[in-house]
Amino acid sequence: MTTPPGTDSARLVDALEGLGRALTRVRLPLELPGVETHRAARQEMLGQLDDYVLPRLRQIEAPLLAVVGGSTGAGKSTLVNSVVGRRVTEPGVLRPTTRSPVLAFNPSDKAWFDDTRILPELARSSTASSDPHALQLVPVDTVPAGLAILDAPDIDSVEVRNRTLATQLLAAADLWLFVTSAARYADQVPWEFLKAAAERSAAVAIVLDRIPEGARDEVATHLQEMLSERGLGRSPLFAVEEGAVDEQGLLPAGDVAQIRGWLEGLAADAHARAAVVRQTLDGAVQSVARRSGEVAGGHAAQVEMVERLRADAHRSYDEALRDVAEASADGSLLRGEVLARWQEFVGTGELFRNLETRVGWVRDRVGGWFRGKPQQAERVTVAVESGLESLLVEHAEAAAERTWRSWTSVEAGKQLLEAGSGRDLGRASREFRGQAERAVRDWQQSVLDMVREEGADKRKTARFLAFGFNTLSVALMVVVFASTAGVTGAEVGIAGGSAVLGQKLLEAVFGDQAVRRLAEQAKAELEQRVGKLFAGESMRYADVLDGLGLDPADTQGLRSAAATVDRLGLA
Amino acid sequence: MSSVVEGAKRLVGRGSASVPDRLEALSRAAELGRGRLDDALVDSAESVVHRAAGRLALSGNHTIVALAGATGSGKSSTFNALAGVEVATVGVRRPTTSVTSGIAWGSEGATEVLDWLGVGRRHQVSRDELGPADRSLDGLVLLDLPDHDSTEVAHHVEVDRLVQLVDLLVWVLDPQKYADAALHERYLRPLATHKDVMILVLNHIDEVAPSQRKAMVADLRRRLEEDGLDGVPVLATSARHGDGIAELRALVSKRVAAKRAAAARLSADLTAVARRMQEQNGRTDPGELRRADRSELVDAFADAAGVPTVVRAVQRSVARRGAQHTGWVVTSWLTKLKPDPLRRLHLDLGPSGKELTGLGRTSVPEPTRVQRARVDTAVRSAAGRVGDQLTPVWSDSVRRASVSRLADLNDALDKAVVGTDLGVSRTPVWWRLARFLQVLLAATMLVGALWLGVIAVLGYLQVPLFFETPEQYGLPLPTLLLLVGVVGGIALAVVGKFVNGLVARGKARTAERRLRSAIGGVTDELVIAPIERELEAYAEVRRALAKAA
Repeated sequence: MTTPPGTDSARLVDALEGLGRALTRVRLPLELPGVETHRAARQEMLGQLDDYVLPRLRQIEAPLLAVVGGSTGAGKSTLVNSVVGRRVTEPGVLRPTTRSPVLAFNPSDKAWFDDTRILPELARSSTASSDPHALQLVPVDTVPAGLAILDAPDIDSVEVRNRTLATQLLAAADLWLFVTSAARYADQVPWEFLKAAAERSAAVAIVLDRIPEGARDEVATHLQEMLSERGLGRSPLFAVEEGAVDEQGLLPAGDVAQIRGWLEGLAADAHARAAVVRQTLDGAVQSVARRSGEVAGGHAAQVEMVERLRADAHRSYDEALRDVAEASADGSLLRGEVLARWQEFVGTGELFRNLETRVGWVRDRVGGWFRGKPQQAERVTVAVESGLESLLVEHAEAAAERTWRSWTSVEAGKQLLEAGSGRDLGRASREFRGQAERAVRDWQQSVLDMVREEGADKRKTARFLAFGFNTLSVALMVVVFASTAGVTGAEVGIAGGSAVLGQKLLEAVFGDQAVRRLAEQAKAELEQRVGKLFAGESMRYADVLDGLGLDPADTQGLRSAAATVDRLGLA
Repeated sequence: MSSVVEGAKRLVGRGSASVPDRLEALSRAAELGRGRLDDALVDSAESVVHRAAGRLALSGNHTIVALAGATGSGKSSTFNALAGVEVATVGVRRPTTSVTSGIAWGSEGATEVLDWLGVGRRHQVSRDELGPADRSLDGLVLLDLPDHDSTEVAHHVEVDRLVQLVDLLVWVLDPQKYADAALHERYLRPLATHKDVMILVLNHIDEVAPSQRKAMVADLRRRLEEDGLDGVPVLATSARHGDGIAELRALVSKRVAAKRAAAARLSADLTAVARRMQEQNGRTDPGELRRADRSELVDAFADAAGVPTVVRAVQRSVARRGAQHTGWVVTSWLTKLKPDPLRRLHLDLGPSGKELTGLGRTSVPEPTRVQRARVDTAVRSAAGRVGDQLTPVWSDSVRRASVSRLADLNDALDKAVVGTDLGVSRTPVWWRLARFLQVLLAATMLVGALWLGVIAVLGYLQVPLFFETPEQYGLPLPTLLLLVGVVGGIALAVVGKFVNGLVARGKARTAERRLRSAIGGVTDELVIAPIERELEAYAEVRRALAKAA
């Protein structure tokens, strides 16, 4: 009130605004252990910054806001009416009472509450309603100037809206007037609120309401003990007996005189009032800074989980890529169907198995076969296509399944897979078979182009003409498929033999240097196409993760904003 | 679970025939569901079975009724009012009751029941003490539970434990607290399945103005409907002044006299957990494995087993052996120089040879990655065909079952190939005949040649022939013999080669058929049987749950 906004407090306002922005940016979409707490904390802090901390820091001289909160049925409304001395809010028997919160203040303070300085989300109204998003303003002259009393909804009924609104209103209070009753004072829920208040050292006064006749001392003593145990021993405790209400629904003035007197005292004493405001405000700032750190930790865990899931998907597809690369180079594609077609192509299998050593002679024989059977090259091509395609499809399926398994092993991954676009991620995508087919065909085409290009200057040589493009490109594929096997000798038997034949054939046309280059080029081309194909598949997982909108930089942003607030808040 | 059955039989005598059967069904569903459904769910099913077993093993003449509620709502006062004696302490300090106390009515001792409940503080109202009003309460075991909403967490734990065990729950509410989230969200909503074994009491009704009592009870009923508890009896009482206590006593004694509360409670437990399991288990029918799927599987497996290689080898081997028999003697020895393709695969031994070697391994090449990929794809699509309509837990377990035995694939395929009689060991009679003819023709040819040789040598030496060369059909006999031998041998070889080609193809087809049927057996054993076992388990869990629910 007397404290003008100095540089320190202006800097603190800036820092808190920065913290608010950092908190807004932080997203917590994954279901990790403890995320509920962090989400609630984030929401609460955002609310508290806008509803209380920032407005209070900007205008430290505004009237003191006392929020009357507590359990359903503890008699909050009756108490507010009795303290104000006028019927400003409707008490009800049916639980929980649902109506807009009521703010009572002295008409001279009207300017403070007309605008949306505090609680900007609640619409102002002058009449009673049951809309929980409205705030009913009641100027009454029986409320001392410099003090406003807000009747909040209950904190423990089945109405979830009441609970969230009460939490929001209590977070916006300079002073909590916490109302409980003789039947309720040991309930767990209110004590959780009081514990939270104690943790952020908010100013709290407790009203023990509706005490049955003659039980006052025993119950009040017990409650005082409980308060001391929980670090609220110094908070004022007011006991009000269950009494008959008058026709206006007010308790006898004597019963609430003590509370009223205390509030009037606060309103009159600027120092005491400032002390209460300072206590709650400092506590709020510190708790916001501390809890922001916790939320940042939660955000870091989210980022870590996303990275883990991303790495899982990457690993699966890398493995698939490696397997395909291996299988398409170690000669295993050259057995079964492809081998049979290839052998049909160059003659009978038996012939060649025995004649590898006499390649020179074979080469000439082969030419005859090639020329005579152009459609045979086509059949090898088709066999290669179906072999490669089934290899690709199976590895894509296996990679999807591996990723699915590793994702479902954690709760967050399971959650992503169960949501809309994640459902199909257990299998390769539907278009994959078609894409694989196209990729293989494109590769074959590019092998053909390669041969064509390489043969451009040799087009006229007799051998080249004798074999033709198709034959040479098929031979090149066969060489690629055995590129590792030919060296290691593990598969040399049948497949290697075929490859040697293809190799000799190509060397006879292009020379061995060119053949090695062509084979490498074709192999690299194949790997690049398969890589692209699998990258598309693994993209589906990346898309789901990117859709979460988690930015790793936000963790640090929030941490440093919280640190700044913490430093300035202590100053 | 024999104790379940024993206890259940006793219940059968009491006329609730379905509970024990349902219990057994649930126990079976839990057994089969373990490792397939969520562990937590199976655990809760098992704990229901366990609890029910415990309850059924106890005297069937007792009905356990618990008074539960928030702190300060008057559980202890109601307890005392029902008992007619001051058993429980009543106070203003919250929470008042921290230990469960129990009171049993009737001649039959309830020690066993209270031991099972773990209730230490006990009171017995013996038959002699039973007043006329109490007679109807014979067999009642009434518990006064601690609160469920105070700061004492130990109280909540005790309430949670006993709420699971008792036969009838009486919730004592308070006008201040009847809409508390702690009550509705933690207890009433989850217990919506148990509305038949619940009574609600709105106590302290004297604190509410008479004009508002009706509205409050109506409001409470509305809230209960929201919780899914419509139709649960609601009584307004004042334990302090005795209002409504007689009605409560009548309601309780009716339930006690019927002796059905225990069965009703267990039935509600069963229904609740079985429904939850059903939800996860699913009710859809699994897909059917069509003939095309199976033949796709067999194709892939046959490919992986190298059946085409073996079949080709059979064809060549038969042709080769045929050529050895029917070929022209002059050239047929050449075929012996080529190895028998079946021998190269170690498949040439025939049935007796296999016995001797004890199903040795073949040299059929191991499946390549492409073949293996094809097998995996076929298995995956078969599992998908069956499991895709099922809930995730089951489609996953079908998938796991379908690949569970693929590690044995190479071995099993090899055994199937080795164990198949390829039908090539027998030598056909006509081969021997043809061989005999070929030898005969060769001999004829040789005789002709030798004769001609002798004539030529004698002619060269100018030695006159000591006999005339006979002629036949206008040709000298030796020339004729030579010609017949050569032409006949070659002709027979050509015809033989043609017939052998047909025979070899036929043999190859036979071998392929036999191999495929053997491989079909492998497919059934390694893939289809595990899938079907899983489907049987699914069907049984479904049946069991339908029975238990």
